[in-house]
Amino acid sequence: MPLLIVLALDLSSSKPAPGEGPPFFAAIINNGIFVPVAAIGALSFFLLPLVAAMAGAFPLAGEAEMGTMKTWMSRPVGRAGVLFSKWGVAILYVVVGMALVGIGGLLAGWLVFGIHPLATLSGTTIGIGAGLERIVLANLLILIALLCTISLALFVSTLTDSSLTAAISAMVLFVVLTILNGFSYFDFMKPYTFTSYNLAFTNLFREPIYWQPIRNALLVYGVTVAGLLAVSWLIFRRKDILT
Amino acid sequence: MADHKQPPASTPPGVCRGRLAEESAGGADSPAPRACDDRPVVLSTHGLTKRFGKLVAVDHLDLAVCRGDVFGFLGPNGAGKTTTIRMIFGLIFPTSGYAEVAGHRVPGERVAALRHLGGFVEVPAFYPNMSARRNLRLIGSAGGDASEGRITEVLDTVGLLTRGDSRVGGYSHGMKQRLGIANALLNSPDVIILDEPTSGLDPQGMKDVRELVRELGKVGTTVFLSSHLLHEIEQVCNRAVIINRGRTVVEGPVATLRPRDEAVKVMTGDQQKAFETARALFGAQGVSWDEGYLVVRAGDEGVPELVRRLVADGVAVRAVVPAVEQGLEEFFLGLTQSSDADGGRGEPAGRRARQPCAAWAASSSRSSFNGAPTSAGRVCWPCRC
Repeated sequence: MPLLIVLALDLSSSKPAPGEGPPFFAAIINNGIFVPVAAIGALSFFLLPLVAAMAGAFPLAGEAEMGTMKTWMSRPVGRAGVLFSKWGVAILYVVVGMALVGIGGLLAGWLVFGIHPLATLSGTTIGIGAGLERIVLANLLILIALLCTISLALFVSTLTDSSLTAAISAMVLFVVLTILNGFSYFDFMKPYTFTSYNLAFTNLFREPIYWQPIRNALLVYGVTVAGLLAVSWLIFRRKDILT
Repeated sequence: MADHKQPPASTPPGVCRGRLAEESAGGADSPAPRACDDRPVVLSTHGLTKRFGKLVAVDHLDLAVCRGDVFGFLGPNGAGKTTTIRMIFGLIFPTSGYAEVAGHRVPGERVAALRHLGGFVEVPAFYPNMSARRNLRLIGSAGGDASEGRITEVLDTVGLLTRGDSRVGGYSHGMKQRLGIANALLNSPDVIILDEPTSGLDPQGMKDVRELVRELGKVGTTVFLSSHLLHEIEQVCNRAVIINRGRTVVEGPVATLRPRDEAVKVMTGDQQKAFETARALFGAQGVSWDEGYLVVRAGDEGVPELVRRLVADGVAVRAVVPAVEQGLEEFFLGLTQSSDADGGRGEPAGRRARQPCAAWAASSSRSSFNGAPTSAGRVCWPCRC
């Protein structure tokens, strides 16, 4: 994805003007450091949640599908251990994916556009070190957002033994929430849905960082993840393991 | 149950001819736990019950497996065997009752109990893209410790040492079953549960697995073996319980599960003369014909006496064979179907008429037929006597 962005922007004759296109795309031409930010931002709307839904669904339901869940559960291991280690594995998948995007994007951006001190959204400029720090923070925030999707997929996979069903259900829920967020009629639920905070990370690129929306996002993410994990646990601790 | 016949006097039911004959004296009449004598009970269930809606899959099941037992858990498909095993492993939760492994209750102390338990439910499942060794390393590390030496040891025990490094995906069904047994043994548990380990195997595979289980029993491993094959249980187990519809039908030393029938088939040079001799000895009731053979219910003591007489009378004795040379599977069917009587499933009248070795099962005090009407003919129709 980051490579695609770099190629497209480098080869395209009509470069996006500042303020045009998805966040940070226009800024890339002047500064390669924005490639990982633009890439992860663009991915966080669909592809990353898809990866997260799959990563969250497969560890648990996949074992059930292969029949190996009963092999594990016949061992002296607690059910909580199994459930939460599967959650951990799902996070690991997503972290590795995000790291690839981030590092790949940074390298590609550096090679093609060069890396310079960042111009923040507020107009001031910060150094490369501080800029990289913001990029890492942005990635962390997006990861925490993805925890919601991972936990959602984990929750669905405690209800079904089909990993595909779990992944697709989680993805459908994610997409439905995203679409609902687009209608003003559903504005009342917007503050409570984790999908409406996708762009919170852009506030990290203001100077100084505008924390208020980020705090709101973190609060909603935290409540969502905790709730989903709690429900998953309640179901899984009493679940009949048949396969 | 008024019309019980008495078992043949010479061999009262409950006499154990198995390798644990000493426990039979009290074992026949007393509840299972006492059958252990001074050996500890390593695995037991107490009023274990599982309902699925209206269906009662397992109904107040009380089992006790003693240390050193190779315990047969016998029942037709759908009798509740796998459901019981799942509850013992804590994979599903009982509606009431509990299982106990080495003093730890399931589901309450599931993890502690599983430290003393190995085995598999239904078909052992492994990662097909990994080698047997890697599978064991991975699964054995969950809540236990699997040293390379121990992995080699268990692979050797089940005869997979040379194939330990190949992908499990390429294994035959029999090899997977044996790998399942290796996995069961890995952490040296107090008891291993094998759920129909020979199902779906070819005759050679069945033989291999049975021999393996027998070997395990010889070295003192406590095995809980579920099966729907009576002769399999007879070959490898010392004690067994037969269940149907989630309830105990018969339990006790394996030797006593077999229908005890003292009838022999006799072939001589002069069958008519032999018939008269036999009738003189055992009365008209004790002698009948079957396809040219003389069928004599003589009892253990009677047979030598009959042969002596025949020889003395100058009748050439060509063959004396036990009349029940099959019967085990059908006998088993008879037992389990008779406990189905309340379910309205009858067996063909013609078969029912075949009897009468009924005495054994019907009068045996250790069998409980759940109050189902158990006429002698129903129980024993399978025996070709």
